[in-house]
Amino acid sequence: MSNIVVLDNGGGLIKAGQGGERDPTTVIPNCLYKPLSSKKFLHPSPLTTLAEEIDLTSASVRRPIDRGYLINSDLERDIWSHLFTSLLHITPSSSSLLLTEPPLSIPSVQRSTDELVFEDFGFSSLYVAHPQSLVHLYEASRQPDSVLSKTQCSLVVDCGFSFTHAVPVLHNFTLNHAIKRIDLGGKAFTNYLKELVSYRSINVMDETFLVDDAKEKLCFVSLDLLRDLRLARSGNNLIKSTYVLPDGVTHTKGYVKDPQAAKRFLSLSDKDHVESDFMAKVGDRKKADMNKNEIDLTNERFLVPETLFQPADLGMNQAGLAECIVRAVSSCHPYLQPVLYQSIILTGGSTLFPQLKERLEVELRPLVPDHFDVKITTLEDPILGVWRGGSLLASSPDFESMCVTKADYEELGSARCRRRFFH
Amino acid sequence: MEEEMTNRRVSNRTRKVATKMAAALTSNDNRTQAAIARLEALENDNGAIEVVDVNDDEEASLDEDDDLGYVQKKQHKGSKRKTRQAKALEARRAPKSFLELLQEANLESLPAHVPTYLKAAVGPPSSSSRRHFCSVCGYIAGYNCCLCGMRFCSIRCQNIHKDTRCQKFVA
Repeated sequence: MSNIVVLDNGGGLIKAGQGGERDPTTVIPNCLYKPLSSKKFLHPSPLTTLAEEIDLTSASVRRPIDRGYLINSDLERDIWSHLFTSLLHITPSSSSLLLTEPPLSIPSVQRSTDELVFEDFGFSSLYVAHPQSLVHLYEASRQPDSVLSKTQCSLVVDCGFSFTHAVPVLHNFTLNHAIKRIDLGGKAFTNYLKELVSYRSINVMDETFLVDDAKEKLCFVSLDLLRDLRLARSGNNLIKSTYVLPDGVTHTKGYVKDPQAAKRFLSLSDKDHVESDFMAKVGDRKKADMNKNEIDLTNERFLVPETLFQPADLGMNQAGLAECIVRAVSSCHPYLQPVLYQSIILTGGSTLFPQLKERLEVELRPLVPDHFDVKITTLEDPILGVWRGGSLLASSPDFESMCVTKADYEELGSARCRRRFFH
Repeated sequence: MEEEMTNRRVSNRTRKVATKMAAALTSNDNRTQAAIARLEALENDNGAIEVVDVNDDEEASLDEDDDLGYVQKKQHKGSKRKTRQAKALEARRAPKSFLELLQEANLESLPAHVPTYLKAAVGPPSSSSRRHFCSVCGYIAGYNCCLCGMRFCSIRCQNIHKDTRCQKFVA
Protein backbone atom coordinates (compact mmCIF):
# COMPACT_ATOMS: atom_id res chain seq x y z
CA MET A 1 0.00 0.00 0.00
CA SER A 2 1.51 3.28 -1.00
CA ASN A 3 1.61 6.06 1.48
CA ILE A 4 -0.40 9.17 0.83
CA VAL A 5 1.09 12.62 0.98
CA VAL A 6 -1.38 15.34 1.88
CA LEU A 7 -0.27 18.72 0.55
CA ASP A 8 -2.29 21.83 1.20
CA ASN A 9 -0.84 24.20 -1.38
CA GLY A 10 -1.77 27.58 -0.10
CA GLY A 11 -0.81 31.01 -1.33
CA GLY A 12 0.91 31.86 1.91
CA LEU A 13 1.84 28.63 3.64
CA ILE A 14 2.27 25.03 2.47
CA LYS A 15 1.07 22.45 4.91
CA ALA A 16 2.41 18.99 4.13
CA GLY A 17 2.52 15.62 5.78
CA GLN A 18 1.46 11.99 5.68
CA GLY A 19 -2.18 11.11 5.37
CA GLY A 20 -3.73 9.68 8.49
CA GLU A 21 -1.84 11.81 10.98
CA ARG A 22 -3.24 14.46 13.23
CA ASP A 23 -0.92 17.30 12.28
CA PRO A 24 1.14 18.10 9.22
CA THR A 25 4.82 17.32 9.39
CA THR A 26 5.87 20.73 8.14
CA VAL A 27 4.35 24.11 7.58
CA ILE A 28 6.52 26.32 5.42
CA PRO A 29 5.88 29.60 3.63
CA ASN A 30 5.14 29.03 -0.05
CA CYS A 31 7.81 31.34 -1.40
CA LEU A 32 11.49 31.89 -1.85
CA TYR A 33 12.89 34.86 -0.05
CA LYS A 34 16.13 36.75 -0.27
CA PRO A 35 17.17 38.49 2.95
CA LEU A 36 19.70 41.26 2.83
CA SER A 37 22.41 38.96 4.09
CA SER A 38 22.34 36.67 1.08
CA LYS A 39 22.64 37.12 -2.65
CA LYS A 40 20.48 34.22 -3.75
CA PHE A 41 16.92 33.30 -3.06
CA LEU A 42 16.67 30.92 -0.15
CA HIS A 43 14.16 28.35 1.00
CA PRO A 44 12.42 29.51 4.14
CA SER A 45 12.69 27.32 7.21
CA PRO A 46 9.58 25.66 8.60
CA LEU A 47 7.51 27.67 10.99
CA THR A 48 7.98 25.40 13.96
CA THR A 49 11.74 25.18 14.06
CA LEU A 50 13.39 27.44 16.56
CA ALA A 51 16.56 27.73 14.54
CA GLU A 52 18.47 30.99 14.51
CA GLU A 53 16.08 33.47 13.08
CA ILE A 54 17.34 35.33 10.08
CA ASP A 55 16.84 39.01 9.97
CA LEU A 56 14.05 39.41 7.47
CA THR A 57 14.32 43.17 7.07
CA SER A 58 13.80 44.16 3.47
CA ALA A 59 13.71 40.59 2.30
CA SER A 60 12.36 40.37 -1.21
CA VAL A 61 10.13 37.47 -2.03
CA ARG A 62 9.11 35.40 -5.05
CA ARG A 63 5.85 33.52 -4.96
CA PRO A 64 4.73 30.83 -7.37
CA ILE A 65 1.09 31.47 -6.55
CA ASP A 66 -0.45 34.64 -7.94
CA ARG A 67 -3.98 35.57 -6.91
CA GLY A 68 -4.45 32.13 -5.44
CA TYR A 69 -3.64 30.03 -8.50
CA LEU A 70 -0.38 28.29 -9.31
CA ILE A 71 1.16 30.02 -12.27
CA ASN A 72 4.89 29.62 -11.86
CA SER A 73 5.47 25.89 -11.97
CA ASP A 74 9.26 26.18 -12.12
CA LEU A 75 9.36 27.96 -8.81
CA GLU A 76 6.85 25.58 -7.30
CA ARG A 77 8.87 22.62 -8.48
CA ASP A 78 11.88 24.06 -6.72
CA ILE A 79 9.99 24.54 -3.48
CA TRP A 80 8.33 21.12 -3.62
CA SER A 81 11.55 19.25 -4.36
CA HIS A 82 13.13 20.90 -1.35
CA LEU A 83 10.05 19.99 0.67
CA PHE A 84 9.93 16.37 -0.45
CA THR A 85 13.59 15.60 -0.09
CA SER A 86 14.72 17.52 2.96
CA LEU A 87 11.62 17.98 5.04
CA LEU A 88 9.29 15.09 4.33
CA HIS A 89 11.79 12.43 3.18
CA ILE A 90 9.49 10.69 0.74
CA THR A 91 9.98 9.35 -2.76
CA PRO A 92 7.24 10.66 -5.04
CA SER A 93 7.15 7.64 -7.33
CA SER A 94 5.86 5.38 -4.59
CA SER A 95 3.32 7.77 -3.11
CA SER A 96 -0.04 9.21 -3.94
CA LEU A 97 -0.71 12.89 -3.60
CA LEU A 98 -3.73 14.68 -2.24
CA LEU A 99 -3.48 18.25 -3.41
CA THR A 100 -5.70 21.25 -2.73
CA GLU A 101 -6.58 23.83 -5.31
CA PRO A 102 -8.86 26.84 -5.03
CA PRO A 103 -12.25 26.42 -6.69
CA LEU A 104 -12.98 27.63 -10.22
CA SER A 105 -9.49 27.30 -11.54
CA ILE A 106 -8.80 27.79 -15.24
CA PRO A 107 -7.81 24.88 -17.49
CA SER A 108 -4.30 26.09 -18.26
CA VAL A 109 -3.46 26.29 -14.57
CA GLN A 110 -4.93 22.83 -13.98
CA ARG A 111 -2.92 21.45 -16.83
CA SER A 112 0.35 22.85 -15.58
CA THR A 113 -0.36 21.53 -12.09
CA ASP A 114 -1.03 18.04 -13.45
CA GLU A 115 2.16 18.19 -15.48
CA LEU A 116 4.07 19.20 -12.40
CA VAL A 117 2.71 16.33 -10.35
CA PHE A 118 2.90 13.53 -12.86
CA GLU A 119 5.69 14.41 -15.22
CA ASP A 120 8.12 16.30 -13.04
CA PHE A 121 7.75 14.38 -9.83
CA GLY A 122 6.14 11.16 -10.99
CA PHE A 123 3.59 10.56 -8.27
CA SER A 124 1.71 7.34 -8.66
CA SER A 125 -1.72 8.89 -8.31
CA LEU A 126 -3.37 12.22 -7.60
CA TYR A 127 -6.52 13.55 -6.06
CA VAL A 128 -7.34 17.24 -6.24
CA ALA A 129 -9.72 18.64 -3.66
CA HIS A 130 -11.17 22.01 -2.90
CA PRO A 131 -10.05 23.16 0.54
CA GLN A 132 -13.60 23.96 1.53
CA SER A 133 -14.90 20.43 1.11
CA LEU A 134 -12.02 19.17 3.22
CA VAL A 135 -12.91 21.63 5.96
CA HIS A 136 -16.51 20.45 5.85
CA LEU A 137 -15.37 16.85 6.20
CA TYR A 138 -13.19 17.68 9.16
CA GLU A 139 -15.84 19.66 10.95
CA ALA A 140 -18.49 17.04 10.32
CA SER A 141 -16.32 14.39 11.84
CA ARG A 142 -15.62 16.50 14.90
CA GLN A 143 -19.26 17.14 15.67
CA PRO A 144 -21.18 14.07 14.65
CA ASP A 145 -24.57 15.18 15.93
CA SER A 146 -24.70 18.73 14.77
CA VAL A 147 -26.93 20.03 12.02
CA LEU A 148 -23.89 20.21 9.82
CA SER A 149 -23.10 16.57 9.77
CA LYS A 150 -26.68 15.32 9.76
CA THR A 151 -27.53 17.30 6.66
CA GLN A 152 -24.07 16.95 5.08
CA CYS A 153 -24.15 20.53 4.07
CA SER A 154 -22.48 23.71 5.26
CA LEU A 155 -21.25 27.11 4.18
CA VAL A 156 -17.49 27.43 4.44
CA VAL A 157 -16.07 30.94 4.60
CA ASP A 158 -12.41 30.65 3.73
CA CYS A 159 -10.37 33.81 4.34
CA GLY A 160 -6.99 32.88 3.03
CA PHE A 161 -3.87 34.59 1.83
CA SER A 162 -4.99 35.54 -1.65
CA PHE A 163 -8.74 35.95 -1.45
CA THR A 164 -11.85 35.09 0.51
CA HIS A 165 -14.48 32.66 -0.67
CA ALA A 166 -17.93 31.85 0.60
CA VAL A 167 -18.55 28.31 -0.58
CA PRO A 168 -21.61 26.15 0.05
CA VAL A 169 -20.63 22.50 0.41
CA LEU A 170 -23.10 19.63 -0.03
CA HIS A 171 -22.17 15.99 0.44
CA ASN A 172 -18.47 16.85 0.28
CA PHE A 173 -18.77 18.59 -3.04
CA THR A 174 -18.68 22.32 -3.52
CA LEU A 175 -21.64 23.93 -5.23
CA ASN A 176 -19.66 25.79 -7.83
CA HIS A 177 -22.45 27.93 -9.16
CA ALA A 178 -22.99 29.54 -5.78
CA ILE A 179 -19.40 30.41 -4.88
CA LYS A 180 -18.75 34.07 -4.20
CA ARG A 181 -15.28 35.60 -3.94
CA ILE A 182 -13.84 38.78 -2.45
CA ASP A 183 -10.37 39.70 -3.67
CA LEU A 184 -9.04 40.50 -0.23
CA GLY A 185 -6.79 38.23 1.74
CA GLY A 186 -3.81 38.20 4.04
CA LYS A 187 -1.58 39.61 1.33
CA ALA A 188 -3.85 42.56 0.68
CA PHE A 189 -4.15 43.27 4.40
CA THR A 190 -0.40 43.27 4.81
CA ASN A 191 0.03 45.59 1.84
CA TYR A 192 -2.65 47.92 3.14
CA LEU A 193 -1.02 48.02 6.55
CA LYS A 194 2.31 48.75 4.87
CA GLU A 195 0.72 51.64 3.02
CA LEU A 196 -0.87 53.10 6.15
CA VAL A 197 2.28 52.84 8.21
CA SER A 198 4.44 54.26 5.43
CA TYR A 199 2.14 57.23 5.08
CA ARG A 200 2.09 58.02 8.75
CA SER A 201 5.48 57.05 10.14
CA ILE A 202 8.37 54.98 8.80
CA ASN A 203 8.50 53.70 5.23
CA VAL A 204 8.00 49.95 5.49
CA MET A 205 6.97 49.20 1.94
CA ASP A 206 9.75 46.65 1.56
CA GLU A 207 9.30 44.87 4.84
CA THR A 208 6.77 42.21 3.92
CA PHE A 209 7.60 39.75 6.66
CA LEU A 210 7.92 42.28 9.44
CA VAL A 211 4.62 43.96 8.69
CA ASP A 212 3.04 40.53 8.36
CA ASP A 213 4.23 39.74 11.84
CA ALA A 214 2.92 43.04 13.18
CA LYS A 215 -0.42 42.43 11.53
CA GLU A 216 -0.76 38.99 13.05
CA LYS A 217 0.14 40.13 16.50
CA LEU A 218 -1.60 43.46 16.73
CA CYS A 219 -4.57 43.74 14.41
CA PHE A 220 -8.07 43.07 15.64
CA VAL A 221 -11.60 43.61 14.43
CA SER A 222 -13.49 46.41 16.07
CA LEU A 223 -17.08 45.90 17.11
CA ASP A 224 -17.99 49.55 16.93
CA LEU A 225 -15.89 51.48 14.47
CA LEU A 226 -16.83 55.04 15.40
CA ARG A 227 -16.32 54.49 19.07
CA ASP A 228 -12.92 52.92 18.50
CA LEU A 229 -11.86 55.69 16.16
CA ARG A 230 -12.77 58.25 18.78
CA LEU A 231 -10.84 56.32 21.40
CA ALA A 232 -7.80 56.12 19.18
CA ARG A 233 -7.97 59.80 18.48
CA SER A 234 -8.18 60.84 22.10
CA GLY A 235 -4.86 59.27 22.89
CA ASN A 236 -6.49 56.76 25.16
CA ASN A 237 -4.16 53.90 25.95
CA LEU A 238 -6.53 51.08 25.34
CA ILE A 239 -5.82 50.83 21.65
CA LYS A 240 -2.37 52.24 21.06
CA SER A 241 0.43 49.75 20.76
CA THR A 242 4.06 49.80 19.68
CA TYR A 243 5.92 47.38 17.48
CA VAL A 244 9.70 47.42 17.59
CA LEU A 245 11.50 46.73 14.34
CA PRO A 246 14.64 44.63 14.40
CA ASP A 247 17.92 46.48 14.29
CA GLY A 248 20.17 43.55 13.53
CA VAL A 249 22.30 44.12 16.61
CA THR A 250 20.35 43.37 19.72
CA HIS A 251 17.49 41.43 18.18
CA THR A 252 16.87 40.11 14.71
CA LYS A 253 13.15 39.69 14.92
CA GLY A 254 10.54 42.34 15.47
CA TYR A 255 8.39 42.18 18.55
CA VAL A 256 5.52 43.93 20.19
CA LYS A 257 6.75 46.26 22.86
CA ASP A 258 4.20 45.44 25.50
CA PRO A 259 2.12 42.37 24.72
CA GLN A 260 -0.08 42.75 27.76
CA ALA A 261 -0.97 46.28 26.84
CA ALA A 262 -1.83 45.15 23.35
CA LYS A 263 -4.68 43.09 24.75
CA ARG A 264 -6.35 45.92 26.60
CA PHE A 265 -8.80 46.50 23.80
CA LEU A 266 -10.59 43.34 24.87
CA SER A 267 -11.88 45.14 27.92
CA LEU A 268 -13.92 47.50 25.80
CA SER A 269 -17.55 46.63 25.96
CA ASP A 270 -20.68 48.08 24.44
CA LYS A 271 -21.45 50.06 27.49
CA ASP A 272 -18.33 52.20 27.44
CA HIS A 273 -19.30 55.58 26.28
CA VAL A 274 -16.33 57.69 25.52
CA GLU A 275 -16.54 61.41 25.76
CA SER A 276 -14.92 62.99 22.80
CA ASP A 277 -11.84 64.48 24.34
CA PHE A 278 -9.73 66.95 22.60
CA MET A 279 -7.57 65.26 20.07
CA ALA A 280 -4.09 64.38 21.23
CA LYS A 281 -1.57 66.39 19.35
CA VAL A 282 -0.82 64.61 16.13
CA GLY A 283 2.58 66.22 16.08
CA ASP A 284 3.60 64.40 19.24
CA ARG A 285 2.78 61.12 17.67
CA LYS A 286 5.04 61.76 14.74
CA LYS A 287 7.97 62.79 16.91
CA ALA A 288 7.93 59.61 18.92
CA ASP A 289 8.12 57.47 15.82
CA MET A 290 11.23 58.95 14.30
CA ASN A 291 13.45 58.36 17.30
CA LYS A 292 13.91 54.65 17.27
CA ASN A 293 12.90 51.84 15.01
CA GLU A 294 9.43 51.67 16.40
CA ILE A 295 6.03 51.92 14.87
CA ASP A 296 3.06 53.14 16.84
CA LEU A 297 -0.19 51.59 15.76
CA THR A 298 -3.50 52.96 16.90
CA ASN A 299 -6.38 52.99 14.47
CA GLU A 300 -4.48 50.94 11.87
CA ARG A 301 -4.96 48.00 14.19
CA PHE A 302 -8.65 47.79 13.43
CA LEU A 303 -8.88 49.69 10.15
CA VAL A 304 -7.03 46.94 8.32
CA PRO A 305 -9.41 44.04 9.07
CA GLU A 306 -12.31 46.46 8.67
CA THR A 307 -11.72 46.41 4.93
CA LEU A 308 -12.87 42.79 4.85
CA PHE A 309 -16.29 43.95 5.96
CA GLN A 310 -16.36 46.98 3.70
CA PRO A 311 -13.95 46.79 0.76
CA ALA A 312 -15.37 50.10 -0.40
CA ASP A 313 -13.12 51.74 2.20
CA LEU A 314 -10.20 50.95 -0.04
CA GLY A 315 -12.08 52.00 -3.13
CA MET A 316 -12.75 48.43 -4.23
CA ASN A 317 -16.09 47.98 -5.84
CA GLN A 318 -16.89 44.76 -4.03
CA ALA A 319 -19.33 43.86 -1.32
CA GLY A 320 -18.23 42.99 2.19
CA LEU A 321 -18.06 39.65 3.91
CA ALA A 322 -21.60 39.62 5.28
CA GLU A 323 -23.13 40.40 1.90
CA CYS A 324 -20.89 37.88 0.23
CA ILE A 325 -22.28 35.18 2.49
CA VAL A 326 -25.85 36.27 1.84
CA ARG A 327 -25.32 36.26 -1.91
CA ALA A 328 -23.71 32.86 -1.85
CA VAL A 329 -26.54 31.36 0.15
CA SER A 330 -29.21 33.04 -1.95
CA SER A 331 -27.78 31.45 -5.07
CA CYS A 332 -28.58 28.04 -3.66
CA HIS A 333 -31.81 26.13 -3.67
CA PRO A 334 -34.36 27.58 -1.18
CA TYR A 335 -34.52 24.32 0.78
CA LEU A 336 -30.84 24.53 1.49
CA GLN A 337 -30.80 28.10 2.69
CA PRO A 338 -31.88 27.67 6.33
CA VAL A 339 -29.46 24.78 6.74
CA LEU A 340 -26.62 26.79 5.29
CA TYR A 341 -27.21 29.71 7.59
CA GLN A 342 -27.15 27.41 10.56
CA SER A 343 -23.84 25.84 9.66
CA ILE A 344 -21.38 28.55 8.72
CA ILE A 345 -17.75 27.54 9.23
CA LEU A 346 -14.97 30.11 9.38
CA THR A 347 -11.60 28.95 8.21
CA GLY A 348 -8.36 30.32 6.83
CA GLY A 349 -5.52 32.22 8.40
CA SER A 350 -7.17 35.62 8.13
CA THR A 351 -9.95 34.56 10.46
CA LEU A 352 -7.52 34.60 13.35
CA PHE A 353 -8.17 38.29 13.97
CA PRO A 354 -9.73 38.62 17.42
CA GLN A 355 -13.43 39.43 17.55
CA LEU A 356 -13.99 38.57 13.91
CA LYS A 357 -16.71 36.05 14.66
CA GLU A 358 -18.65 38.45 16.88
CA ARG A 359 -18.45 41.21 14.32
CA LEU A 360 -19.63 38.91 11.57
CA GLU A 361 -22.60 37.81 13.66
CA VAL A 362 -23.56 41.42 14.27
CA GLU A 363 -23.30 42.25 10.59
CA LEU A 364 -24.93 39.14 9.25
CA ARG A 365 -27.99 38.99 11.46
CA PRO A 366 -29.82 42.03 9.99
CA LEU A 367 -29.32 40.72 6.48
CA VAL A 368 -30.84 37.31 7.11
CA PRO A 369 -34.61 36.82 7.32
CA ASP A 370 -35.95 36.49 10.85
CA HIS A 371 -37.11 32.93 10.69
CA PHE A 372 -33.65 31.64 9.81
CA ASP A 373 -31.21 30.77 12.55
CA VAL A 374 -27.67 32.06 12.13
CA LYS A 375 -24.90 30.04 13.70
CA ILE A 376 -21.19 30.50 13.05
CA THR A 377 -18.49 28.05 14.11
CA THR A 378 -14.77 28.63 14.01
CA LEU A 379 -12.25 25.87 13.65
CA GLU A 380 -9.94 25.34 16.54
CA ASP A 381 -6.98 25.83 14.18
CA PRO A 382 -7.98 27.62 10.98
CA ILE A 383 -4.59 27.21 9.36
CA LEU A 384 -4.36 23.46 9.80
CA GLY A 385 -8.06 22.73 9.36
CA VAL A 386 -7.85 22.01 5.63
CA TRP A 387 -4.87 19.73 6.08
CA ARG A 388 -6.58 17.76 8.77
CA GLY A 389 -9.60 17.28 6.53
CA GLY A 390 -7.31 16.04 3.82
CA SER A 391 -5.67 13.66 6.23
CA LEU A 392 -9.09 12.29 7.18
CA LEU A 393 -10.02 11.85 3.53
CA ALA A 394 -6.74 10.11 2.80
CA SER A 395 -7.32 7.60 5.53
CA SER A 396 -10.78 6.67 4.29
CA PRO A 397 -10.94 3.24 2.68
CA ASP A 398 -12.24 4.27 -0.73
CA PHE A 399 -9.70 7.01 -1.28
CA GLU A 400 -7.59 4.88 -3.61
CA SER A 401 -10.46 4.38 -6.00
CA MET A 402 -11.12 8.12 -6.24
CA CYS A 403 -7.63 9.03 -7.39
CA VAL A 404 -6.36 9.46 -10.90
CA THR A 405 -3.36 7.22 -11.53
CA LYS A 406 -0.39 8.12 -13.63
CA ALA A 407 -1.41 5.63 -16.30
CA ASP A 408 -4.85 7.24 -16.55
CA TYR A 409 -3.30 10.65 -16.90
CA GLU A 410 -0.94 9.55 -19.64
CA GLU A 411 -3.72 7.86 -21.54
CA LEU A 412 -6.51 10.39 -21.20
CA GLY A 413 -4.79 13.69 -20.61
CA SER A 414 -5.42 16.30 -18.03
CA ALA A 415 -8.89 17.56 -18.94
CA ARG A 416 -10.59 14.16 -18.94
CA CYS A 417 -8.97 13.21 -15.67
CA ARG A 418 -10.12 16.38 -14.03
CA ARG A 419 -13.72 15.57 -14.76
CA ARG A 420 -13.47 12.68 -12.39
CA PHE A 421 -13.23 15.11 -9.54
CA PHE A 422 -16.50 16.80 -10.58
CA HIS A 423 -14.87 20.21 -10.43
CA MET B 1 0.85 39.82 -32.81
CA GLU B 2 -1.38 36.84 -32.31
CA GLU B 3 -0.52 33.94 -30.08
CA GLU B 4 -1.26 30.42 -31.16
CA MET B 5 -3.16 28.42 -28.61
CA THR B 6 -3.97 24.78 -28.79
CA ASN B 7 -7.71 25.33 -29.15
CA ARG B 8 -8.35 29.01 -29.71
CA ARG B 9 -6.51 31.84 -31.30
CA VAL B 10 -6.68 34.91 -29.11
CA SER B 11 -5.56 38.33 -30.18
CA ASN B 12 -3.95 40.81 -27.93
CA ARG B 13 -6.15 43.65 -29.01
CA THR B 14 -8.28 45.51 -26.55
CA ARG B 15 -11.13 43.70 -24.92
CA LYS B 16 -14.47 44.78 -23.67
CA VAL B 17 -14.37 46.18 -20.19
CA ALA B 18 -17.15 47.38 -17.89
CA THR B 19 -18.13 50.93 -18.69
CA LYS B 20 -17.21 52.41 -15.35
CA MET B 21 -13.84 50.72 -15.41
CA ALA B 22 -13.25 51.81 -18.97
CA ALA B 23 -14.02 55.39 -18.10
CA ALA B 24 -11.64 55.23 -15.18
CA LEU B 25 -8.88 53.58 -17.17
CA THR B 26 -8.96 56.00 -20.05
CA SER B 27 -9.29 59.11 -17.96
CA ASN B 28 -6.26 61.23 -17.75
CA ASP B 29 -7.38 62.30 -14.35
CA ASN B 30 -4.53 61.70 -11.97
CA ARG B 31 -6.84 60.98 -9.12
CA THR B 32 -8.56 57.99 -10.70
CA GLN B 33 -5.27 56.69 -11.96
CA ALA B 34 -3.75 56.99 -8.53
CA ALA B 35 -6.74 55.16 -7.07
CA ILE B 36 -6.43 52.29 -9.56
CA ALA B 37 -2.69 52.06 -9.02
CA ARG B 38 -3.28 51.93 -5.30
CA LEU B 39 -5.65 48.99 -5.64
CA GLU B 40 -3.27 47.14 -7.89
CA ALA B 41 -0.47 47.73 -5.43
CA LEU B 42 -2.41 45.67 -2.92
CA GLU B 43 -1.53 42.61 -4.96
CA ASN B 44 2.21 43.28 -4.96
CA ASP B 45 4.59 40.71 -3.66
CA ASN B 46 7.36 43.17 -3.01
CA GLY B 47 6.94 46.80 -2.08
CA ALA B 48 7.51 49.93 -4.11
CA ILE B 49 11.00 51.24 -4.71
CA GLU B 50 11.25 54.90 -3.82
CA VAL B 51 10.95 56.37 -0.36
CA VAL B 52 8.93 59.56 -0.67
CA ASP B 53 6.84 59.40 -3.79
CA VAL B 54 4.95 56.30 -2.88
CA ASN B 55 1.90 56.99 -4.99
CA ASP B 56 3.81 58.11 -8.02
CA ASP B 57 5.90 55.00 -8.27
CA GLU B 58 2.96 52.73 -7.71
CA GLU B 59 1.93 53.45 -11.25
CA ALA B 60 5.24 52.07 -12.37
CA SER B 61 5.27 49.40 -9.72
CA LEU B 62 7.04 46.15 -10.29
CA ASP B 63 4.00 43.95 -9.66
CA GLU B 64 4.30 40.72 -11.57
CA ASP B 65 7.58 41.84 -13.04
CA ASP B 66 9.17 40.65 -9.84
CA ASP B 67 9.13 37.21 -11.31
CA LEU B 68 11.65 38.49 -13.80
CA GLY B 69 13.96 39.35 -10.92
CA TYR B 70 16.69 37.06 -12.12
CA VAL B 71 16.43 38.26 -15.68
CA GLN B 72 16.58 41.92 -14.76
CA LYS B 73 19.73 41.41 -12.73
CA LYS B 74 21.43 39.89 -15.70
CA GLN B 75 20.48 42.92 -17.70
CA HIS B 76 22.30 45.20 -15.32
CA LYS B 77 25.45 43.16 -15.36
CA GLY B 78 25.56 42.50 -19.10
CA SER B 79 24.24 45.94 -20.06
CA LYS B 80 24.13 45.01 -23.68
CA ARG B 81 21.33 46.52 -25.68
CA LYS B 82 18.83 43.75 -26.19
CA THR B 83 17.28 43.27 -29.57
CA ARG B 84 13.55 43.27 -29.86
CA GLN B 85 13.61 39.57 -30.55
CA ALA B 86 15.59 38.80 -27.45
CA LYS B 87 13.18 40.82 -25.37
CA ALA B 88 10.22 39.00 -26.87
CA LEU B 89 11.86 35.66 -26.14
CA GLU B 90 12.43 36.67 -22.56
CA ALA B 91 8.85 37.83 -22.18
CA ARG B 92 7.66 34.47 -23.49
CA ARG B 93 9.80 32.48 -21.11
CA ALA B 94 8.72 34.36 -18.00
CA PRO B 95 5.62 32.96 -16.35
CA LYS B 96 2.49 34.82 -17.21
CA SER B 97 0.59 36.56 -14.50
CA PHE B 98 -2.77 35.19 -13.53
CA LEU B 99 -4.64 38.05 -15.15
CA GLU B 100 -3.03 37.32 -18.48
CA LEU B 101 -3.89 33.66 -18.17
CA LEU B 102 -7.42 34.61 -17.30
CA GLN B 103 -7.77 36.68 -20.44
CA GLU B 104 -6.35 33.93 -22.57
CA ALA B 105 -8.77 31.43 -21.13
CA ASN B 106 -11.55 33.42 -22.71
CA LEU B 107 -14.10 32.54 -20.07
CA GLU B 108 -16.80 34.71 -21.58
CA SER B 109 -17.31 32.29 -24.41
CA LEU B 110 -18.42 29.42 -22.18
CA PRO B 111 -22.16 28.74 -21.88
CA ALA B 112 -23.99 30.62 -19.18
CA HIS B 113 -24.60 27.79 -16.77
CA VAL B 114 -20.93 26.95 -16.30
CA PRO B 115 -19.52 28.58 -13.18
CA THR B 116 -16.29 30.43 -13.80
CA TYR B 117 -13.79 32.54 -11.92
CA LEU B 118 -15.34 35.72 -13.26
CA LYS B 119 -18.87 34.83 -12.28
CA ALA B 120 -17.82 33.96 -8.78
CA ALA B 121 -16.76 37.49 -7.98
CA VAL B 122 -19.12 39.01 -5.50
CA GLY B 123 -20.54 42.04 -7.17
CA PRO B 124 -20.70 45.67 -6.10
CA PRO B 125 -21.95 46.43 -2.61
CA SER B 126 -25.63 47.11 -2.20
CA SER B 127 -25.07 50.56 -0.75
CA SER B 128 -22.82 52.80 -2.75
CA SER B 129 -21.99 55.11 0.13
CA ARG B 130 -18.47 54.64 1.28
CA ARG B 131 -16.60 55.91 4.26
CA HIS B 132 -13.50 57.99 3.83
CA PHE B 133 -10.61 58.05 6.24
CA CYS B 134 -8.16 60.85 6.86
CA SER B 135 -4.85 60.15 5.19
CA VAL B 136 -2.91 61.70 8.05
CA CYS B 137 -4.43 60.31 11.20
CA GLY B 138 -7.05 57.79 10.13
CA TYR B 139 -10.14 59.31 11.63
CA ILE B 140 -13.33 59.71 9.60
CA ALA B 141 -12.58 62.36 7.00
CA GLY B 142 -15.00 65.08 6.10
CA TYR B 143 -13.03 67.21 3.72
CA ASN B 144 -10.62 66.76 0.89
CA CYS B 145 -7.73 68.77 -0.37
CA CYS B 146 -8.70 70.90 -3.34
CA LEU B 147 -5.34 70.49 -4.98
CA CYS B 148 -4.72 66.77 -4.82
CA GLY B 149 -7.92 65.20 -3.53
CA MET B 150 -6.57 63.44 -0.45
CA ARG B 151 -8.83 63.35 2.54
CA PHE B 152 -8.32 64.90 5.93
CA CYS B 153 -10.40 65.34 9.04
CA SER B 154 -9.45 68.64 10.62
CA ILE B 155 -7.38 71.75 10.09
CA ARG B 156 -4.45 70.28 11.98
CA CYS B 157 -4.30 67.34 9.59
CA GLN B 158 -4.77 69.67 6.67
CA ASN B 159 -1.71 71.66 7.68
CA ILE B 160 0.38 68.54 8.02
CA HIS B 161 -0.85 67.41 4.64
CA LYS B 162 -0.01 70.71 3.02
CA ASP B 163 3.46 70.80 4.50
CA THR B 164 4.58 67.31 3.73
CA ARG B 165 2.49 65.43 1.25
CA CYS B 166 0.41 67.57 -1.01
CA GLN B 167 1.52 67.84 -4.63
CA LYS B 168 4.18 65.23 -4.13
CA PHE B 169 2.11 62.62 -5.88
CA VAL B 170 0.33 64.55 -8.53
CA ALA B 171 2.44 64.60 -11.63
